[in-house]
Amino acid sequence: MELFLMTIVTGIMVGGIYALVALGWVLIYKCSGVLNLAMGEMTLIGAYISITFYSMGIPFLLALLLSLIIGLILGILTERIFLDKLIGEPVLSVIMVTVGLSFFFKGSLELIWGTDTKVFTPPVFPLEPIEIGPIVIGQAYLWSFIAAIILLIAFVCFFKYTRWGLAMQATADDEMAALSLGISARFVYAAAWSIAFISAGVGGTLLGNINGLNISVAHLGLLVLPVVVLGGLNSVPGAIVGGIIIGILQNLCGAYLDQYFPGGVKEIAPFAFMVIFLLFKPYGLWGWERIERV
Amino acid sequence: MSTTFLPCGIYHQEYAKEHAWWQTPFIKGKMILLLIVLFFIIPFFADSYELSLCNQIGYTILGAIGVQLLIGFCGQITLGHAAFLAVGAYTSTLLILEFPWPAFMIDWGLAYPASIIIAAFMAGIWSVIFGLPSARVKGFYLILTTMAAQFIIVDFIITQYVSQIGGRGQAFSIPPETIKIGPVAIDSDLKVYFMILFFVIICVVVLANLIRSKVGRAWIAIRDNDISADVMGINVIKYKLMAFFVAGCIGGIAGSCWISNIAAISPEHFPWSWSLWLVGVVLIGGVGSIHGTIFGSIFMVLVMEGLQLLVIPLVDIYPKLLMDFLFIKEAAFGLAICIFMIFEPYGLSYRWWQLKNYFNLWPFSY
Repeated sequence: MELFLMTIVTGIMVGGIYALVALGWVLIYKCSGVLNLAMGEMTLIGAYISITFYSMGIPFLLALLLSLIIGLILGILTERIFLDKLIGEPVLSVIMVTVGLSFFFKGSLELIWGTDTKVFTPPVFPLEPIEIGPIVIGQAYLWSFIAAIILLIAFVCFFKYTRWGLAMQATADDEMAALSLGISARFVYAAAWSIAFISAGVGGTLLGNINGLNISVAHLGLLVLPVVVLGGLNSVPGAIVGGIIIGILQNLCGAYLDQYFPGGVKEIAPFAFMVIFLLFKPYGLWGWERIERV
Repeated sequence: MSTTFLPCGIYHQEYAKEHAWWQTPFIKGKMILLLIVLFFIIPFFADSYELSLCNQIGYTILGAIGVQLLIGFCGQITLGHAAFLAVGAYTSTLLILEFPWPAFMIDWGLAYPASIIIAAFMAGIWSVIFGLPSARVKGFYLILTTMAAQFIIVDFIITQYVSQIGGRGQAFSIPPETIKIGPVAIDSDLKVYFMILFFVIICVVVLANLIRSKVGRAWIAIRDNDISADVMGINVIKYKLMAFFVAGCIGGIAGSCWISNIAAISPEHFPWSWSLWLVGVVLIGGVGSIHGTIFGSIFMVLVMEGLQLLVIPLVDIYPKLLMDFLFIKEAAFGLAICIFMIFEPYGLSYRWWQLKNYFNLWPFSY
């Protein structure tokens, strides 16, 4: 029972981070219709930049902030250079450009930072675990979860109450109407990409704090795909709930199925679950169902 | 992309001729010249390095042509094709190493050819299993299920279970002299070259003929609009699964051919990036054309080799570059895809088509 509770809690904590990264993904899809497969590498970029600043002796929060600013610039650049020209192209072209971007990012990252695992030294969060009743969790998990939740709330408020956020919502809802009301769609696309870079960067930094940082963190970034499928491609609440569900599921599979199927059940389970889920409910929990006509 | 125009002054008088492969004497001569080059010039005048490049190109063609069938002709985007290559390669290896063949099969050197056929069939079956979701989903969702195929087959089943068979650890080494076709042991680049060439020609001919048959027309109808294809009476699910089966078979053949070229086989030979690489080759060559696949494969392999040759002189100045070459290659490939998608969305085969038409219609191109 304790194991069960602990797995659930850890799952929720990690799921919060997935939710944060998935929010960035959903935002890009909602605003510009781009299905982004480069999310894994985008998490890595932010994480590597912040670890570089941190190892230079800059306090963690400042390092994170600096990496966010660089992520913002990179987001705008990526959108302007590569994706701006592809608006309205077929799905395959857009997806393959993001795949090309992911190769490009990954190659450049490995070129700059190498393939060795890096850790935040000295550790950002204290190492001794916290005990809440029978449950023992690492502080890194707890603080990551709190940080992810704060950012999620900040983003949701941004969409609900600020002018730019409302412009983005309007564009996602109906691009033509938004254009006729004087909202610049190009600005919205650039904003969506920079927010995605920011949320991926924070997610990557938090994941890097938990397990150390190397190229395989990109695989965790890819977990965003099962998350968004579960929640529905264009639903922000879906991304949050989906992230937490996938986090729990992954940890449950790791805890209980690992003895029957030794090896990488934990990495595979979300994808296997996604295939089965797609067969029954392809539009996710809250996604828009698309009715097709000839 | 429509068909190529005939040169001025050439007309067909029979329908059969209109559908012939080689329609004019010039094309006939050109193709025969190509075959002569492939079968007599390259094998006997190229050195071992150039032959190994040719083998790499051939392997890429075999892998990418299945992707071309799925993406270019049936409209089913797949990002997990390397998994089916892996299924083919592992089936073939396991059959050679572990299966108790009757003595005459081994004596006559039939074990490897038989294993290629079984491997193709196995890969086809696996491909159909992971193509089943295509009955319900399409577009982006299908991409996700094919991605899942890659992770489930290669990263989980093969790495964790298949690799444990026989207690060899991660990599299966293939002893020399075990890969034999008839009395000939496939042990040199030249023999591998002929084998891969044979399979490339077979696969290209089979696929090209499938495309212009009833099956191919159904695939193209599904690609263009699957709902109207359904309305027109095409059994969409059946033909989609058939496309997955054929693509998987070709992938299996590619995988089991490739094991003759490498001394040991491990899951690292079939990473996810290899699936993406194959899709990239198809896109750079041109979606929906078989010769585009061939152009794309030649282009990618040669460009990457050229990049390597460019880097080697720089190594003296900056020695770390040699170790980092793999990363440069990845970044260059990513950039190449982006640039092609933005500036040349129809791929190399479109330029080839323009070139041919320019000469066929010259001097009256209007």
